[in-house]
Amino acid sequence: MENKVITLAHGAGGRQTSELIGGIFKKYFANKDFTPDDAAVLQIAADKIAVSTDGFVVSPWRFPGGNIGKLSICGTVNDIACMGAVPKYLTCAFVIEEGFPIADLEEIASAMAATAAEAGVHIVAGDTKVVGKGQVDQIFITTAGVGEMLSNVHTSGTLAAVGDAVIVSGDIGRHGCTILLERNEFGIEANVNSDCAPLGKTIVEVLQQYPDIHVIRDATRGGVGTVLYEICDQSQVGIELDAAAVPVAEPVQGVCSMLGLDPLYLACEGRLVIFAPGAEADGIVEILRRLPGSQDAAIIGQVTADSGKVLVKHPFGGKTMLPQPTGELLPRIC
Amino acid sequence: MTQEDYLQILRNYSGPPVRIMEVCGTHTHEIFRLGIRSLLPENMELVSGPGCPVCVTPPGYIDSAVVLALQHHAVIATFGDLIRVPGSHGSLADARRQGAELKTVYSPLDAVALAQSNPDKQVVFLAVGFETTTPSACLAVKKAQAAGLDNFSILCANKTMPEAYKALKGSADAFLYPGHVHAIIGTGLCQELYRQGVSGVVAGFTADALIMAMAVIAENLESGKVFFENCYPKVVKAEGNPAAQKLLADMMEPCDCTWRGLGVIPGSGLQLRQEFARFDAVHKFGLTPDDGQVNSACRCGEILRGDCKPCDCPLFGKVCTPLHPVGACMVSGEGACSAFYQYNC
Repeated sequence: MENKVITLAHGAGGRQTSELIGGIFKKYFANKDFTPDDAAVLQIAADKIAVSTDGFVVSPWRFPGGNIGKLSICGTVNDIACMGAVPKYLTCAFVIEEGFPIADLEEIASAMAATAAEAGVHIVAGDTKVVGKGQVDQIFITTAGVGEMLSNVHTSGTLAAVGDAVIVSGDIGRHGCTILLERNEFGIEANVNSDCAPLGKTIVEVLQQYPDIHVIRDATRGGVGTVLYEICDQSQVGIELDAAAVPVAEPVQGVCSMLGLDPLYLACEGRLVIFAPGAEADGIVEILRRLPGSQDAAIIGQVTADSGKVLVKHPFGGKTMLPQPTGELLPRIC
Repeated sequence: MTQEDYLQILRNYSGPPVRIMEVCGTHTHEIFRLGIRSLLPENMELVSGPGCPVCVTPPGYIDSAVVLALQHHAVIATFGDLIRVPGSHGSLADARRQGAELKTVYSPLDAVALAQSNPDKQVVFLAVGFETTTPSACLAVKKAQAAGLDNFSILCANKTMPEAYKALKGSADAFLYPGHVHAIIGTGLCQELYRQGVSGVVAGFTADALIMAMAVIAENLESGKVFFENCYPKVVKAEGNPAAQKLLADMMEPCDCTWRGLGVIPGSGLQLRQEFARFDAVHKFGLTPDDGQVNSACRCGEILRGDCKPCDCPLFGKVCTPLHPVGACMVSGEGACSAFYQYNC
């Protein structure tokens, strides 16, 4: 490729646009469904499909454990899978700032391809726009996706029931902590990687054995705490959380203690919050712990009738409300 | 004694109804976060005192910072929680919308670095805090002096606890003294108050430390005697931290100081000594600070004295919320109103 950085010409629809598509996107995204036409025409095997879309503006775009490309695949795949669907196809749209290094775009596209392959989805269509310097910050990506619904499954945020166990699929707060450290505003160093991962296969595996699961959410910005309050609100229930059971990696806990943050409100990008009948909880945790990325899965609480309240129980007996989410701790976390 | 032994003491408390004041904002926050109140018997009440430095900062201080930012075009370097504290006519966040340049810092030394990298701008650090944070403001001034900076100064609202304790005598049956402050100043003052009939314990900040401290208070109150115990001896020594004390004494001198809600407490503030006057923003910019005006319906003052609870204030949770704070106690994470609101008490 002639230029080493993205120029406005790369987004103008001419020769350089074709070069960019051919040199990067076709090279990495190649699959039988990837279309050179205006829209991809696809085969769907299920009666129902799940559709979702998400925009990604994370800063910095590269972080330990991933980059904006990987994140853009995981985010949409995970949203689709949480509805009980098998993610199949994705589209992606890039908005790139003039001057962005082409080698970096290649790194991002490569991560997208690897993550799509891991998640078993095909990237089938895309769009690229280039804007002037300062009109976006480096690169923004939007993905949209389609999944085939599993036939005997019905999960929804409205279905949590009194007596359900609340399960998380791993230690929490990693992504938020990673981004916070990467921005280096606090002069703190700690060895933390983002948990960013596609969760479709994990979800299908669990749902195939436990189709009665009531709610599956992926905890993203706002963290697990925000999910808990959302479900309380949607299902008109309460939650009693066992503070000691919430898995938090030591360096994440350390950073939170230093900065006065609650890991429950730090973003995750590869963690599920599952609400399931209490009797099934141990079995679900057992499956999760055998699967890659969820060996720290744990039951962290149970659903109560005390509508709208998330109560935190400490091992020494202290009980207190979990503070309500107050909005994003950090802008541009995903 | 195990934690269970201490919990047993609390469960079995059979003394008279008592009020215990946690003087420190960090204690307030941790007590709420850990649910310590739920472990106390009904006749033991915890009230929050004036130990959150942001909460006791009068609106006039914010007004001075706004004047520095908007009229003198100084860059204001501050800990984040001061930005939304209301002044008489608005907060620093409001001033930012009018063009004020604010920079959140996590240490006073960051503000010195900011001044070094912006030699064409005046940088003013908002020095708010007790004995725990004031030494680092002194170090920042020392560093600026050593670097020969003439574009760095601090706006002092530094306060000390001794005179405040004396002003609060009688507000509670016992004080939960803040471990951080006494790690610096030592326990001499607590002993002096004890001799004057004021009870209290110095406590740490973990669940274990707080449960032990509450049990020690319960046991002593039950027996009816005046008491003082240092329950945080690993960190708090009788003599305190002589190096930090010397730094404070060398660079600062006591002054009368206005505490939001408590009024002027003579000798309870700290200001830079004359030889450091060129680093004192009030002196440097010729400010004439006053106390400012508070919303007359806001009951922060009574709350800070332990005379009423946040939920007794007519503004609490209605007009005054963390997103739209009327008083400083609702802004700071360590403020009593914010804690009551967040933990839904």
